[in-house]
Amino acid sequence: MIRLLNVSMMPPDVGQPVLRNLTLTVPQGEFRWLLGASGAGKSSLLRLLTLETRPSAGQMDLLGVSISQASRTTLRNLRRRIGFVPQDYRLIGEWTVFDNVALPLRLRGASERDTRREAFAVLEWLDVAHLADKRPGTLSGGEQQRAAIARALIGRPEVLLADEPTNALEDAQARRLLATFQELVEMGTTVIVATHNEALIRETPAASIILQDGTLAGTDIQDGIAALRSNKA
Amino acid sequence: MSAPVSPGLRSGSLPLLVALMTLLGGLSLAGLTGVQTLAEGWAGAARNATTIEIPSDTPQLEDRTRTLIQTLHKTPDVTTVRELSPQQVQTLLAPWLGQISDSGHLPGLSLPVVLIIAHTGTPDLGKIVHETLPEAVVEEDRRWGERLNGLGISLVACAWLAVSLIAAIAILSVGMTVRRSVMAQRKAVEIVHFLGAGDMMISSRIAGRAALLSLAGGLTGLFFLSPVITMLARKLAPFSRDAGPIALPATTWQSMLVSEWNTLHVLPHLLLEELGALPLIAACLGWLTAQTVVLVWLRRLP
Ligand SMILES: Nc1ncnc2c1ncn2[C@@H]1O[C@H](COP(=O)(O)OP(=O)(O)O)[C@@H](O)[C@H]1O
Ligand SMILES: [Mg+2]
Repeated sequence: MIRLLNVSMMPPDVGQPVLRNLTLTVPQGEFRWLLGASGAGKSSLLRLLTLETRPSAGQMDLLGVSISQASRTTLRNLRRRIGFVPQDYRLIGEWTVFDNVALPLRLRGASERDTRREAFAVLEWLDVAHLADKRPGTLSGGEQQRAAIARALIGRPEVLLADEPTNALEDAQARRLLATFQELVEMGTTVIVATHNEALIRETPAASIILQDGTLAGTDIQDGIAALRSNKA
Repeated sequence: MSAPVSPGLRSGSLPLLVALMTLLGGLSLAGLTGVQTLAEGWAGAARNATTIEIPSDTPQLEDRTRTLIQTLHKTPDVTTVRELSPQQVQTLLAPWLGQISDSGHLPGLSLPVVLIIAHTGTPDLGKIVHETLPEAVVEEDRRWGERLNGLGISLVACAWLAVSLIAAIAILSVGMTVRRSVMAQRKAVEIVHFLGAGDMMISSRIAGRAALLSLAGGLTGLFFLSPVITMLARKLAPFSRDAGPIALPATTWQSMLVSEWNTLHVLPHLLLEELGALPLIAACLGWLTAQTVVLVWLRRLP
């Protein structure tokens, strides 16, 4: 469960909040599109939800933990229950794809055998198992994105956040990914996906979080699509 | 190889820098030891010699001089008693009395008897001489000793200052290099932090690598330092009391190595221990700096 009450977020060296007075709730095991024009604050909201920054004002609850009062150790443990596909992938260049993907399980203290099995299962599912021993820098954008998705999916997180996860994917791959997200939702994961992919949104209508200039502009998917259009115009 | 859960550290400049700093630190320590040995030798030489002059007009000069010499020989701590020959006394006094004519005697002046006493410790020679031969003048070379001692102390102080400065520079530059290599891992550190890695987990791995790289650099520096140190040992060997048997001329490289090793024993143990500790000190320094830098910086992240 994700609950925000009058949340604002101001990056350290910026005079203005990039998110203002956000109030929203996403019950556990539900799916949300995160929509809005470029610069509306989608990535900022996801940074807040991945605990990269704390809210500068307001109340935020994540998986039953009140974030403003939480200790660093609590935040650390919470992060291990969240999967995240960053817009810029954020793979560690010195490590192999396998080690990158295995990291969340290893941080949770899983055995090497389980880690290997699970990592290869998810890499195979994303068609990048043959790249397991390669460094991310030698991969194409789409392959890197799939490695980042594998790292977010491994160990079945309780909250899955994805920032434009289909950017570098082909349509078929994007559709398959979305089907997987739906499966996770059915198994109880909360999934929030920021995207510009209008076709995908149309194929999979769902409740939305629509941002505009850092504020909540609605929840209706049609409004969201309109917002995307205004961006392109 | 253990599974990575946190970024390591890669730095070519860190081992190189530590190697150079070890070399520099070792050289300055060796220099300090050399200066200390020299200063102690001077002070000791001056402290351990006493001159006794017996005026030539002393009654029963020869008998009483012999008695004094015997008494001195029996005195504990006195190692040698040497009576200067008239020629030696003349040479000694020449600067004050001028060159002596071919007659071998200064007109109207007879030379004093001069005894040079070498001793260890500080026997009260003045008292002994005064009891046996009150006419004699005891000239302890104390004034010279004090001057040499003063000079020695200032030289040693300078050497210490140099060692401390080099240590400070080494600590600063190793610290800065570690910091820079840690900062180069910033992105990777942030990634693992936001995936839920603990602070100590991250800092320990980086610090471990920093310690390892510093240790490697320190050992390399020590390796290049060893020829210099054995050379110093060979130079110091003649001054050393317990130099042990002089090594035979080396014929094979094994015996050469053995003799090199033997000469090392001439060096003060403290120096050898200090040099041996340099790589370990470097490793600790690298570890501590990396730990601090990473932990301080992670503290800024939520
Ligand atoms: N760390 C930051 N420093 C300065 N400005 C930021 C920072 N993060 C976001 N912003 C600003 O906040 C606004 C929203 O950015 P972002 O969340 O990336 O939007 P979106 O992902 O919807 O395109 C942008 O105007 C961006 O410039
Ligand atoms: Mg964005």
